[in-house]
Parts: sequence; structure tokens; C-alpha cells
Amino acid sequence: MENRDRTIRVPVNGDKKKARKMFLMNVAVMGGLCVAWFFAARAIGKPLVLPDFIETMKEFLTAWTNKRTMRNMGLTLKRVLTGSFYGLVIGSVLGLIMGYSEKAMSLLSPFINSLRQIPIMAWVPLSIIWFGLGEGPTIFMIFMAAVFPLIINTIAGVTDIDRNYFNAARSMGADTVSIFRDIVLPGAMPGFLTGLRLAVGSGWMSVICAEFIATSSGFGYLMIEAQERMQTAKLYALMIMSAVVGYGMDQLIRFIERRVTSWRFKDGKA
Amino acid sequence: MARLSIEHVSKVFSDRPGEVQVVLNDVSFDIEDGEFVCLLGPSGCGKTTLLTMMGGFQEPTEGQICLDGEPISGPSPERGYVFQNYALFPWMTVEKNVAYGLKFQDLPEAEKKARVDAAIEMAHLTEHRKKFPIQLSGGMQQRCAVARALVGRPKVLLLDEPLGAVDFQMRELMQNELERMVQEAGITVVMVTHDVSESVFFSDRVIVFGRKEGEIVGNVTIDLPRTRDRSSEEYEHYVSHLTNLLRDAFKGASIK
Ligand SMILES: Nc1ncnc2c1ncn2[C@@H]1O[C@H](COP(=O)(O)OP(=O)(O)O)[C@@H](O)[C@H]1O
Ligand SMILES: [Mg+2]
Repeated sequence: MENRDRTIRVPVNGDKKKARKMFLMNVAVMGGLCVAWFFAARAIGKPLVLPDFIETMKEFLTAWTNKRTMRNMGLTLKRVLTGSFYGLVIGSVLGLIMGYSEKAMSLLSPFINSLRQIPIMAWVPLSIIWFGLGEGPTIFMIFMAAVFPLIINTIAGVTDIDRNYFNAARSMGADTVSIFRDIVLPGAMPGFLTGLRLAVGSGWMSVICAEFIATSSGFGYLMIEAQERMQTAKLYALMIMSAVVGYGMDQLIRFIERRVTSWRFKDGKA
Repeated sequence: MARLSIEHVSKVFSDRPGEVQVVLNDVSFDIEDGEFVCLLGPSGCGKTTLLTMMGGFQEPTEGQICLDGEPISGPSPERGYVFQNYALFPWMTVEKNVAYGLKFQDLPEAEKKARVDAAIEMAHLTEHRKKFPIQLSGGMQQRCAVARALVGRPKVLLLDEPLGAVDFQMRELMQNELERMVQEAGITVVMVTHDVSESVFFSDRVIVFGRKEGEIVGNVTIDLPRTRDRSSEEYEHYVSHLTNLLRDAFKGASIK
């Protein structure tokens, strides 16, 4: 009966091998794309449309040490964190309440469901009227992008909790406050963290759009600037950078996810 | 006075408007102190529904269930419950799961700790106490769930097909473990099962349900010494007797 634990390690090892193979494949595909880009750029011969690969890579690598670029990147990251933080606070509270109470759910869900149909960019004019140009509308837009995935996934996190966990806790004498603390909060955590991942992701995607329009600083603004100055190689480099940073944030949240809900994983480790 | 008395209990579900389902109709029986009683019946006959009402998770539509003469009105630590899927809290270690069974009882911390240790010991989980449920085998999860239900020293233990999801080879092994734990605790037990042999192995008395409305088609006392020998002739005899009762119930010819 007990030796079940040991058998777990076999697939883990197998997974490692698979993961390494997968990684090599990824590298190969990436390399292939670079080579294709290199030759395609030469063949097309229009650097304004598709810049030289080597030049773009140079732009990309130097950008990480360029003070101005990094300062704007920092500004943008700060906006994402601020907006996501507001989204996190409001989204998780609303999600918990709506997941826990059917009354709150039927009261609020039509409202939430119609609000979230409004495209993020449609908030731009109104948010400029509300907050003026600058930080306000940008952070508001990130908030709007982040809050709905958080609400929806936190609700799912709560409603996915096995009803018998509540019954079990009550049969051991738990009161409502204890049930909320010991069952609802930890039980909703996986859903909440999924929501957080999606929220930061969509916050990152919308911040750049917001910066095109509502402010004269930040990463999105640098992109518009590069476009206006016809520095296409730089624009490409910035786009790759935004992909890398977005990916990095996603990986970071996944890491936190594994840490905080290690109980979901058989090896119990991050 | 009986420890647990089921008095004219009916349960009707009417989730959808215009549609009523009578799951139990006027069911009555008593369970004595220290008895191990199995509720045996085909699946869908209302065994879980009846057990959850004993647990206090839902209320009878009519009638009542009394523990030591007091009507049951909700869940309470007086009645330990082991769910069909165990319902161990996946975010708590073995130790924390078991300790949760005592968390809301008014006891000195040292006493709580000693009792939790003893329960974990009884479940043979001492070396696994820091593990999460996902890291346990099915057998360990089941023992953990039983330990959690027993640690608060309830008056009755309610078990809903605790071995329902276990494959055939493991089943007997786990039956032996459960038998040991329950006998050590010396407690009144009500266990739901649809497995005839399992009911003979555990029960002092088997209450057999038919297909419809919780109709009781048999009430069989198993008079065999413990731990029971599954290959003995008497054991076989009880098994076939109960099997026949169930089969007749299926044909609709109930035996009173
Ligand atoms: N909450 C409920 N609402 C509607 N019907 C239910 C509910 N719970 C159980 N039932 C019905 O009651 C019957 C008996 O279910 P159950 O007690 O789970 O049977 P058993 O445990 O004997 O297999 C089934 O037909 C089931 O569909
Ligand atoms: Mg059942």
C-alpha cells in the first residue's frame, strides 16, 4: 500500500527528460525563425517594413542597458503593478463575496457581466475625462483589464470547492468565520492565482495601448516614438522586450502559484 | 433508550417545480449503543440521503432522527462523519486535518496534541503526518479521514461507503484496517455500503433497503465472532442470505 509514493518519482524523471527534449525543440524552432528572418529581411530589402535581423538584435541587447528605455520600462511596470493591485483588492473581494453568497451573485453578476463586455480601449476617452492625461487613465485601464479575470476566477475558485468540505468542517464544529478562513480562502486560492496570472497578463497588454494614447511616458510611448521616427528596428526590439518581460512576469506568478499552493502537487515542492 | 433512532423519516426532493421525488417514505429503525450497523441497498435507494440526515447536513421532510433522545438539528461534533470521497482538506497536512477535528472543542492544548498524536498513531500515519492528502495512497487517505472523524470522540461514527472507490485487491486490506480502528475506538457505527460481503464483515446488524422509497426489506443480525473469517461457511451463508434479500427486492417481491 505504502509504496505508491515511490512510483511517483518515475514519471517525474520521465517528465524531466521530456521537458529537456521540449526545451531543445523550442530552441530549434526559435533558431529557425531567426534564420528565416535574417534571409527574409535581405530578400525583401525594405528595412522600414522588416528590419535587418542583426541590427534588431543589437537594438534589443543594448536596450537593456539604455537608461531612457529602462526608466520608461520601470514606469510602465510600476503602472501595471499599481493597476493590478487595485484590481486584485477589488476583484478578490468581489469574487469571494459573489462565490460565497448566491444572493450577491444574482445581484451583481448582470452588472459585472455587462461591464466586462465593454472593450478596454473604449474606456480611454471617459477615463481621460475623469482623470486627465497622465497616470490616472493608464492605471484605470490596467485596473479594468485586471479586475474581471480576477473576479471571474475567484468566483470559480470558491464555487469549485467541494461542498463536503463545508459539511465536514461544520460537523467538526466550525463556525462561519472559521469556515471562511479555513475552507473558503485556501480553497479559492488556486482559482484566485489563475485569475491573478490572467490579470497581470492582460494588464501588461493593455498598459502599452493606454500609453499610446493617454500619456507621454512609458514603454508604449517609446514604441509610438520609434514608429514616428521610423526606427523600425528599435520598434521590433521593443516589442520583443515587451514579450520577454510579459513572459517573465507570467513565470514569476507561476512560481508563486506553486509555492503558495504546493499542496496541489504530488512532490509538494515549488 | 436507543442511541440513534430514526422515527418515521421521509425525504422528498422537489428541486424542479412540478417534479417531486420521494426518496424515503416513513422509514423507522433504532440503533443501539455500541452497535455496528450497515445500511445495505442498491445504489440510488437513498442510503446517502439517510446518512446525511443523521449527520445533520439536511433535514427530513417528515419525521425526525434522535441521538440519545434529542432530535438532530444540524451537524455537530457528536457525530463524526466520513464522506464517500473522504473530503480531507487538501491544503492541510495529515496532522492539521486530524487536528481540525478537535480545533473547536474546549480542551487544553496539551490534551488536544496528545489526542491528535494518538489518533495519527492509531491510523498508522505517524511517519506521514507532514504530508498533504494528495501525497497519500487511497488507504492512507481513508485512515486519515477516519482518524479525523474519531479524534473528537463522537457518540456515533457515520461512514458513507468509505471503501467505495477502492479497487478489489486493496479492499480487504483496508477493511481489516478499518475494522481495527473502529473496534479500538469501541464506538457506535452506521456505515452505508452496497457491498454485501463488506456488510457481513463489519456489521452486528445489516439493514437491507429495497429499490423504492427506503423500504426496509431485511434486518439481519450477524452473529459471528470478530475479526471475521471471510472464507468460513457461516460467513458465506450470511452473504448468500443477504444477496437473496437484495435480489428479491429487485424483483419487487419484498420480504417482510
Ligand atoms: N439534493 C438532491 N436533490 C435531488 N435529488 C437528490 C438529491 N440527493 C439525492 N437525490 C436523489 O435521491 C436518490 C437517492 O440518492 P442517494 O441517497 O445518494 O442514494 P444512495 O446513496 O443509496 O446511492 C437518487 O435518486 C438521487 O438522485
Ligand atoms: Mg451513496
